[in-house]
Amino acid sequence: MRYMGKFILAASALALGASAASAAEIKVGSVAGVTGPIAELVDPIIAGRNLAAQHVNDQGGLLKGDTLKMVLSDSACDPKAGVDAGGKVVNVEQVVAVVGASCSGATNGMVQSVTIPAGVVAVSDSATAPSISELKDNDLVFRVAPSDAYQGAALAKLAYDSGVRKLAMTYSNDDYNAGIATVFEKEFAGMGGTITANQAHEPNKASYRSELSTLASGGAEGIAIFAYYGSSGIAIIRNSLENGLFDKFFAADGMFDTSVIEQIGADNLRDRISITQSASDYADSSYQAFEAAFSATGKDPKAPYAAHGYDASFLVALAIEKAGSADRSKIGAALREVANAPGEVIRPGEWKKAKELIAAGKDINYEGASGQVDFDGNGDVVGVYSVNVVGDDDKWAITLLK
Amino acid sequence: MIEFLNFYLIPGLVLGSIYALGAIGITLTFSILRFANFAHGETMLLGVYITWSLVQFSGLHPLVVLPVAAMLTVLAVLVIDRAFYKPFRTSPTIMVVIASFGMMLMVRSVVQFFWGVQLKGMTPGIQRPMVFFDSLRISPKHVTIIGATLVLMLAVHYLLSRTKIGKAMRAMSDSPELAKLTGIDTEKVIRMTWIVGGALATAAGVFLAIDTHIDTNMGFKMLLPMFAAAILGGIGRPFGAVAGGLIIGVVEEISSYPWIGTEPLLNPGYKAGVAFAIMIAMLLWRPSGLFKGKVF
Amino acid sequence: MDQFYGIFLYVISLLTMGGIYAILALGLNIQWGFTGLFNAGIAGFFAIGAYVSALLTTAPSLRHLGGYELPYIVSFAVAMAVSGIIAWGVGKVCLKLRADYLAIATIGIAEIFRLILKNETWATNGPRGVSMIPKPFESLPEPWNQLAFLGLILATVVAIYFLLETARRSPWGRVMTAIRENEKSAMAAGKDIEKFRMEAFVVGCMLMALAGAFIAHYLKFIGPNATDPMTSTFLVWVMLVVGGSANNKGAILGAFLMWAIWSASEILTSRLPDELAIRTAYIRIFLIGLALQIFLQKFPKGIFPEVRPKPERREVVTESNASR
Repeated sequence: MRYMGKFILAASALALGASAASAAEIKVGSVAGVTGPIAELVDPIIAGRNLAAQHVNDQGGLLKGDTLKMVLSDSACDPKAGVDAGGKVVNVEQVVAVVGASCSGATNGMVQSVTIPAGVVAVSDSATAPSISELKDNDLVFRVAPSDAYQGAALAKLAYDSGVRKLAMTYSNDDYNAGIATVFEKEFAGMGGTITANQAHEPNKASYRSELSTLASGGAEGIAIFAYYGSSGIAIIRNSLENGLFDKFFAADGMFDTSVIEQIGADNLRDRISITQSASDYADSSYQAFEAAFSATGKDPKAPYAAHGYDASFLVALAIEKAGSADRSKIGAALREVANAPGEVIRPGEWKKAKELIAAGKDINYEGASGQVDFDGNGDVVGVYSVNVVGDDDKWAITLLK
Repeated sequence: MIEFLNFYLIPGLVLGSIYALGAIGITLTFSILRFANFAHGETMLLGVYITWSLVQFSGLHPLVVLPVAAMLTVLAVLVIDRAFYKPFRTSPTIMVVIASFGMMLMVRSVVQFFWGVQLKGMTPGIQRPMVFFDSLRISPKHVTIIGATLVLMLAVHYLLSRTKIGKAMRAMSDSPELAKLTGIDTEKVIRMTWIVGGALATAAGVFLAIDTHIDTNMGFKMLLPMFAAAILGGIGRPFGAVAGGLIIGVVEEISSYPWIGTEPLLNPGYKAGVAFAIMIAMLLWRPSGLFKGKVF
Repeated sequence: MDQFYGIFLYVISLLTMGGIYAILALGLNIQWGFTGLFNAGIAGFFAIGAYVSALLTTAPSLRHLGGYELPYIVSFAVAMAVSGIIAWGVGKVCLKLRADYLAIATIGIAEIFRLILKNETWATNGPRGVSMIPKPFESLPEPWNQLAFLGLILATVVAIYFLLETARRSPWGRVMTAIRENEKSAMAAGKDIEKFRMEAFVVGCMLMALAGAFIAHYLKFIGPNATDPMTSTFLVWVMLVVGGSANNKGAILGAFLMWAIWSASEILTSRLPDELAIRTAYIRIFLIGLALQIFLQKFPKGIFPEVRPKPERREVVTESNASR
């Protein structure tokens, strides 16, 4: 206990000292569900955001050498906490823009009651609920994470094209997975496939054998799983394989993580699982630039939405540079200019180059680690999807879905 | 029919065994210390993470390091009792209930701080079940879990019925005032209660981790079913708690069996509610539980 | 200048949330403080209020029931009424249970409510929640709309406070205390205990629903995650215990104080280096738990201990012997 107290005192003294030393600091809010139900997914996303800030600061900083500081605040995946966290970064920290707030519900509350009224741009890196596109946002809400509508359709097409016609499906009853599942069901049926059974399941249960047994009784050729890998996805795959209930799996990117292979075993999954992921091809040079830098942090660059976290933060930095000042009201318009064509292509990590181009008055077009990131009228991006299977090296092997 | 056995009854029994082990601790604390311990799920969590660390460190099977992990967990629980529960021995129960609630937050955040929130596995890979008579499928790990649960229950039975301290525990659970008058060292009995409860919670958590995986929310998600099991069996009745755990585990699983037609009887989204519903029904119909436990 | 204006806005938001929690804490105070009912299912009644008011006031949507666009005053009244009726049903079956049992039963009931909100997608849009909820006064310019909303909340808190204080001093309030302290003698005095307890339970749950309705409009969004037991039930308990249970002033102070600590402590931790800042999010929860423990041990009666209303004629007042 005493140790803890000293530790906190020392750490806060250090932090206060550090903030006093750097004179010009431009703050961007980094709101994320640090605690709460998806804590394990949020950790790499924050690392992605911080990596972007590090790139900016290492290569000359913002504007006249100012430092970019990502101010972390916890949305706990809860709208109450999301609004509170948003209020803190916008009002107390006086951030120029906000990245976040992880879960769709928390993001929805935060943008409606904090950032839109305050006229602050919010760039979400993982909220996928379609309802966010419909908000009257005065062009202040952007997303680098594509709306569910795209991914549900992409996965349905993937499953159908692989020759599967009868599928069972199950989704974890949370704001993210329930949304993709709804789209998937409609799309797959629309193509002429049959959903033999569709069940919601409660996450965090110890066993899903009974659910799977009922799902398997309809003669399905495989199962589509919409779940976070931690709270139920891995358990479902394990229960299915151990009991021979299903051996063909389709999943969306909440399931995508190296721990799936670690926990289940590469050989058990080979040729059995396909996971769509909102990401560009791993062969893409933008992605590789990101991967090389991110791996140095010791975290998994392929973790869900880590690349989006990087892109969202890097874009905000570019927009500040483009706007020429840390003026909240100019970020929205600048964001579109730096993200969309035309312009010279900027890739992750190329801050110095971007800064020089902007200084020379040239247009730039950021091509992110997660995809093209071109914003449409709603501030959404068109989803680019890849499919992941277990490769020969026992790691995820990715190909871009056309 | 065989499907019913394989996918509903056996998983239900495995889950039930885990609930049962956790519920023994709850029912003992409830009857001897007279409070509903909200931190019991976190005791389980702490035990699991200690076990995980020992497994990483030693490379041994989780069941081998379990006794050591249980000892360390018990030690932590005893320290917690000394620092946070003992001051309230003579206060109204609400104080210690709220203290245990605060403890739940504290233990979980300590685990999250030191071990992080990333998902961990106790035994990676998958294990194909053994097949009997061409149809009955039982996974070896499930045999281990059910077997180990049986052994632990026998040990608890021996402790409570054959040893002096066990008899003192039962006496104190039946009537603390009388126990004090007959010269029973109440603090010693309380210590033993934490030892038994903490060790069994660690075992329950490790079994759950072997069957699934480890995450920092596993304590809280097990807490309410374990309460339900304790109440169903009757407070202060360890074997009632075992029966309650098994019943709740099995009923949870078979509630989504397609009894009528091919659709699950109960939408699996409501599965978590089954334990609560049983618990509430029991509280109303017969608060003393199936085995005539105590009603305060 | 911006900095001061920002802090001003933040203080408004602190007071708004603090006020909403004060309503919850006052509701709990009627149940626990005055009557001794251990309701651990606050989140359930809070959620009922939030969803009912949200569904009644939103514009039509294909995603959920509702689209009635009713005035707030109606939606608040209906939210309270619905919660009251449900509380009556719950009370009918559960109130005879003793403290700990009632706590466990109400936790179970609140979790079942949450499962219903998550699974009955046709009515509530399931886990995706209800969005675009109107907020009173939102057409006013900044910061007046926020001030007006805050005014509404604070006025409600003050009104509830005076109503409860009046009730506490009335014969009704004294019967409540008598039941809490000694059920048998209250019964012997010919009081219908069941009825009094039921009244306290229903009124408390109606206040919780009102707080829920306010939060839905304040956030402009409500989803199942906003009604999790941690911040909707347990935090309220902490507030009441810290402030001083059975004291309405204590309940209000506890709510504002604990919410301010809960929220503002992060402003300090976010100043730490990144890797530490993530981890200190957990330490923050740890410290809040520890603060609760210290409070329980050092100030078991809270900041404002209970003050008994003086009997009208006789001067006999004994020190409250049953500490809680």
